[in-house]
Amino acid sequence: MNRVFHSVRWRLQIWHALILMGVIVALCMLAFRLAADDRRERIDRELESFERAFMKSFWEMPSRKTQDDHPPTNPSIRDRFMALNDATQFPLEMRDLFDPEAAESTYLAYWDGEGQALFRSANAPDSLQIPSLPESDSDPKARMRGDFRELVHGGPRGFRGVVGRDISADRAALRRLGWQITGSGVLLWFLGLLGGWWLAGRAIKPIAAISQTASRIAGGNVSERIDIANTADELGQLSHTLNDTFERLESAISRQREFTADASHELRTPLTIVLSEISRGLKREREPAEYREILTNCSHAASRMRSLVEGLLVLARQDGDPRNRPRESIDLAAATSETLEMLKPLATRHGITLRSDLQPSFCSADPQAIPIAAANLITNAIVHQASGGSVTVRVFASEGQAVLEVADTGPGIAPEHLPRLFDRFYRIDPARGSDGGHTGLGLAIVRAIAENHQGSITVESSVGAGSTFRFSVPSGESALRA
Amino acid sequence: MRLLVIEDDPLLLRSLAATLREENYAVDTAVDGADGLFKATSADYDCIILDGMLPVFDGWELLRRLRPVKATPVLMLTARDAVPDRIRGLDAGADDYLTKPFDGEELLARIRALIRRSSGLATSVIGIGVVSIDTGSRSVSHHGREVSLTAREYSLVEYLALHRGKVVSRTELYEHLFDEDDDTLSNLLDVHVSNVRKKLGPDFITTRRGHGYLIE
Repeated sequence: MNRVFHSVRWRLQIWHALILMGVIVALCMLAFRLAADDRRERIDRELESFERAFMKSFWEMPSRKTQDDHPPTNPSIRDRFMALNDATQFPLEMRDLFDPEAAESTYLAYWDGEGQALFRSANAPDSLQIPSLPESDSDPKARMRGDFRELVHGGPRGFRGVVGRDISADRAALRRLGWQITGSGVLLWFLGLLGGWWLAGRAIKPIAAISQTASRIAGGNVSERIDIANTADELGQLSHTLNDTFERLESAISRQREFTADASHELRTPLTIVLSEISRGLKREREPAEYREILTNCSHAASRMRSLVEGLLVLARQDGDPRNRPRESIDLAAATSETLEMLKPLATRHGITLRSDLQPSFCSADPQAIPIAAANLITNAIVHQASGGSVTVRVFASEGQAVLEVADTGPGIAPEHLPRLFDRFYRIDPARGSDGGHTGLGLAIVRAIAENHQGSITVESSVGAGSTFRFSVPSGESALRA
Repeated sequence: MRLLVIEDDPLLLRSLAATLREENYAVDTAVDGADGLFKATSADYDCIILDGMLPVFDGWELLRRLRPVKATPVLMLTARDAVPDRIRGLDAGADDYLTKPFDGEELLARIRALIRRSSGLATSVIGIGVVSIDTGSRSVSHHGREVSLTAREYSLVEYLALHRGKVVSRTELYEHLFDEDDDTLSNLLDVHVSNVRKKLGPDFITTRRGHGYLIE
């Protein structure tokens, strides 16, 4: 039963059935009512015209006394009625009035103002009694009396007449009609149900197809897409939206796979060094100096792995939940100045001159992330050029952004590398090992930080002319407003 | 035996070279594809240990260029462990494929196996008369009793034994027993031969004047 109530197709079908049933029932009742009314009216008209015809014949009959121009008096009318005993005086269709056995034919009866029966046709039912005085003189009043349909009319001086007929046959016919209508209604209802079932099936089929494809995709086959036959209708739109979602799902999964593969790849070589050195070291007795050398090598390799893991953790933090990102009002110049202090020894070791022009520029940012971005950019600038060069660092506010600019006098970057420069583990020389703590994640981290602050990171560089990196984040007021 | 190790990471290169030299191999090194190819084609190595990701051009490209010229056994060492990469390496001409990180002992065993196979031998123990050479444990026994040989002496015996029946010139011996950093003094070779004769019998190594040495 649950399945029935949860299935759109079944629910559609049930509602369709109920509504169709309501409509058909209403229609059948209407049809029946119309037929019944029509028949009743017809019977009434027949009675009325019968009575009129009778009256016509009645007055046309020859009688003993002919008194022209006098309104007939009660006695004379009574006399005329008394003389009515011969059917042959009447047209064929009225002869049943005189036949006591003709119970199905129309009957007549008249009474005068004093309640005396003037005439009672032979086929009138025994149950017929004098009716009460009708209100209006002229309009006949129709009534049902058991199986008899009667018209009661009044005349001058309290004169009353009843014309009626046993309509049980008509009623039976009407009942039969009623059953026929009901039967047809039921048949139509079933046909309607079949049609509705088929229609619902056709409407549901594309949905079922979409649903199956979607389950397959969600179950693992992420490169599949929903087939869209007709792109304009509602199902086409739905398919488009779902396909877009699957596209994003697929690229997110492949980005994750790539990342995991890259990360494990990067860790393999330092790991190999550690294992190789340790295995070598344990093979035989050695001088302490040799052991020291082996341990130092292991330590360097382990440091490399640590840098890599730290870089990955920073990136993971940048990738993580947006709600956990702290925001404070930070002076980009102050953060950069601290970073420069920290990196002075590195610059000296590499023989690089550091120049800076720092103007206070406030922004709303993660206080731990900004120094990392600055450090990565400045470190890159220092280590990627030969001794004797310089690195110029500028901080300023411009067009609602706090900008950090790092320019170096290094060898520059060829244009084909620029689009992928900020990708994880992207190295200009693909085989360059991660020596000296260079993990290949520095720029990727800077980009992630920029994106998380709705800022940007750009680079201008040409071979032989050095590179300029520009990192900008929205400045304090607009960021707080945003 | 003389090996060439081509690996761009300097720390790993140093570690591998040290490990192999301690196993009494003569080891030459190269840090990029071009230098590696040059060395591999200039000398006869008994085995080349080749990293996949190298600067200038990578290990697979080096193999492609090496194979038409040299049939030296090549063991590829790389971080790329996906099956397509392995297939690519082996089809390019590598004889074996080890992924990083690897077990040091396994590397040594595979190198031994490659060298053994390229000499046409199926087992690691070579029996020559009353002398038995176990290339796995790098030990030699005479009449069932282990004989103590220096590293160079063992290398000499192993090399001649693996090329049994062939006359090996002094030049070839120099090439295969000493690496490029060694000072090659002619006499050194004679001293080793004479020492081996003292330990394993005067007929063990035969001299062909003007041509070289051999083990019959």
